[in-house]
Amino acid sequence: MDNSSNPEKFIVNIGPQHPALKEPGHFEFTVDGEIVKNASARLGFVHRGMEKGCESRNYTQDLYLMERVCGICSHVHAMAFALGVEKLAGVQAPPRAQAIRELIGELERIHSHLLWLGVAAHEGGFDTLFMFSWRDRETVMDLLEKLTGNRVNYSANILGGVKIDINDEQKDALLKGMDYLEERTHHYMKVVTEDETFLGRTRNIGLMTADEARRLGAVGPTARASGLAYDVRVDSPYAGYPDFPVKLMVEPAGDLEARFVVRINELFESYRLVREIIEHMPTGDLAVRVPRRIPEGETFSRVEAPRGELVYYIKSNGTDMPERVKVRTPSLCNWASVLTQAVGHKLADMPMILAGIDPCFSCNDRMVTVNRGSNALDWSWEDLRRYGIEYYK
Amino acid sequence: MSETKKTTEELIQNGRQIVQQWIVSENTPEAGRLDVSIKPEDIKPCVKALVETKWGYLSAITTLDHPEYTTAEGSTEKVILPDKGSIELLYHFCESAAVLTLRVMLPYENAKMDSICEIIPSATLYEREAIELIGVELVGTPTVDHLLLPDDWPANVYPLRKSFTGLDKVKGE
Amino acid sequence: MTDTVTQNVFDKIKTWARVNSPWIIHFNSGSCNGCDIEILATLTPRYDVERFGIKLQGSPRHADVLICTGPVSLQARDRLVRTYEQMPDPKFVVAVGSCAISGGVFQGCYNVVGDISEVIPVNVYVPGCPPRPEAIIYGVVTLLKSLQG
Repeated sequence: MDNSSNPEKFIVNIGPQHPALKEPGHFEFTVDGEIVKNASARLGFVHRGMEKGCESRNYTQDLYLMERVCGICSHVHAMAFALGVEKLAGVQAPPRAQAIRELIGELERIHSHLLWLGVAAHEGGFDTLFMFSWRDRETVMDLLEKLTGNRVNYSANILGGVKIDINDEQKDALLKGMDYLEERTHHYMKVVTEDETFLGRTRNIGLMTADEARRLGAVGPTARASGLAYDVRVDSPYAGYPDFPVKLMVEPAGDLEARFVVRINELFESYRLVREIIEHMPTGDLAVRVPRRIPEGETFSRVEAPRGELVYYIKSNGTDMPERVKVRTPSLCNWASVLTQAVGHKLADMPMILAGIDPCFSCNDRMVTVNRGSNALDWSWEDLRRYGIEYYK
Repeated sequence: MSETKKTTEELIQNGRQIVQQWIVSENTPEAGRLDVSIKPEDIKPCVKALVETKWGYLSAITTLDHPEYTTAEGSTEKVILPDKGSIELLYHFCESAAVLTLRVMLPYENAKMDSICEIIPSATLYEREAIELIGVELVGTPTVDHLLLPDDWPANVYPLRKSFTGLDKVKGE
Repeated sequence: MTDTVTQNVFDKIKTWARVNSPWIIHFNSGSCNGCDIEILATLTPRYDVERFGIKLQGSPRHADVLICTGPVSLQARDRLVRTYEQMPDPKFVVAVGSCAISGGVFQGCYNVVGDISEVIPVNVYVPGCPPRPEAIIYGVVTLLKSLQG
């Protein structure tokens, strides 16, 4: 190992072809020996021009467009948009619709966290955990398909409410699904908190104190794993959350292990919420009418996506098309935190640290490069990932 | 941590007091939100005051285009004057359910103000987005490398301005 | 110069090898990830494409088939072309999802090309938003069958 004090350039081309992260990205780390001295990011591969696109589509079309900002958190985007437009129109979706919105939102959180668990495990070389969690995730994919007709991009929201209802057969399936997943999740919690090899890659790695998290603008589970009590569902409840509140899951440790624990705890909380909503589902209509032309105004819609606070700013101008739609997704906030955490850590820890914030490229596509020396070395993400696994053997 | 949780209205009033001296005008667009217009040169002291008193966190920076229109000869059709409008920047701060927004207006010909990255380092990602998409200069921002737009995007072409209607239209000129 | 009989035998072996164990590389040209997570799902126990000999791996230089998603953002376009060029002949492309076919909901957005076939030649399209893992597997199998013929 070269421990010269001349930092070397390592260009890790996550490149657009990357099996595990599934998203285009290019990372840049400057490394001195083993230790990362600097990290930076660039975005661009998934930028599609959606905010501008919103201005030439009507509100209903925009609902379908914004669902596809991200396939993993599609419902929460649509919900934030719909809630914002409803506020501008001066209407409120009926209680049953809000409860169904929350129900699907929590099912989405379950699928997203299980997805992340698998991907993060894969980054650390724990492919069995990847396979198990994705197999179990199929349970919630089936439930979402049963309820909405699609596994991904469920389109349950319409402006004014929801377009799907829930019957007794679906309720039974949901309850069975929650029981199965809860049992499996106990197993995952055990692995994450007791397995020696796993802990070797997560305990005390990627430390971020509460003050750093606050200063760096972290949100969501990344922030909560550093002890910050930020959760839009609790701070500013929306949809069904006033009636079906969620418990804040916070871990003080601030390391990678805490990030795993927070998300698994959130899974348990989601199972509980799903059961509660089913048991106390309000009766009534599924939607209220929203006019085609939305009166002038500006609204700020905040929701808690699986990765953290998602914000929609919508400005209407009295026509059937918005004047401006601005989206700020949670991953954008969490990137700053990861780039700072990376400094002082070993290159071998990079894959897990990056995976630890549950990065969603399509929400904010990015590129990062590794610098190690004057000759930039091109590495693929797969190389970096294998490097991490080998290092810890 | 306070012993009793403040109501949203109390939080708003709290925030208002903190930035009181810089308020040019204010508006309550919806319950729980306060919009405060300030002068561009006051952005740093304002943000500093909020950060030092730990009122909320910077949630997002929204950019708005306010173009100026004229009517085409002999018709009622509105035509954009591409060099005459203004840009508005909105800095949204959130504390629990309360949202305080600092609003700054800049004319196209002088779309320049200070960066707040000295105070909030993570704002760099929001600032880069604003700089490249709506066309504003934020003095002191640590990097202006393209965040979202491709490397070969033509200079001085700002997609979020209303006058932009597609890259092919630009290239056609 | 080999005679036609020997050449036919070699061709059949090559096709058999390619068809029975195609190495696949995945490229996201700017999609929302919906298609990509369904592609990834094909590797997982319920669908398990590896039992068909289909292997998803990381380098274009060893790949037979490129599975591409997304409406091709302007930034991704050059890299897509480069990835395609790095693949050895014979090579094939499967375009997955509505975006890959026409741009999907992003048609007309300023940073998007749209149809993948405007950038590289495509052999098979799998429609859907996103298509189910079964549909994706079917698309790949359709491609392989067409090679056998």
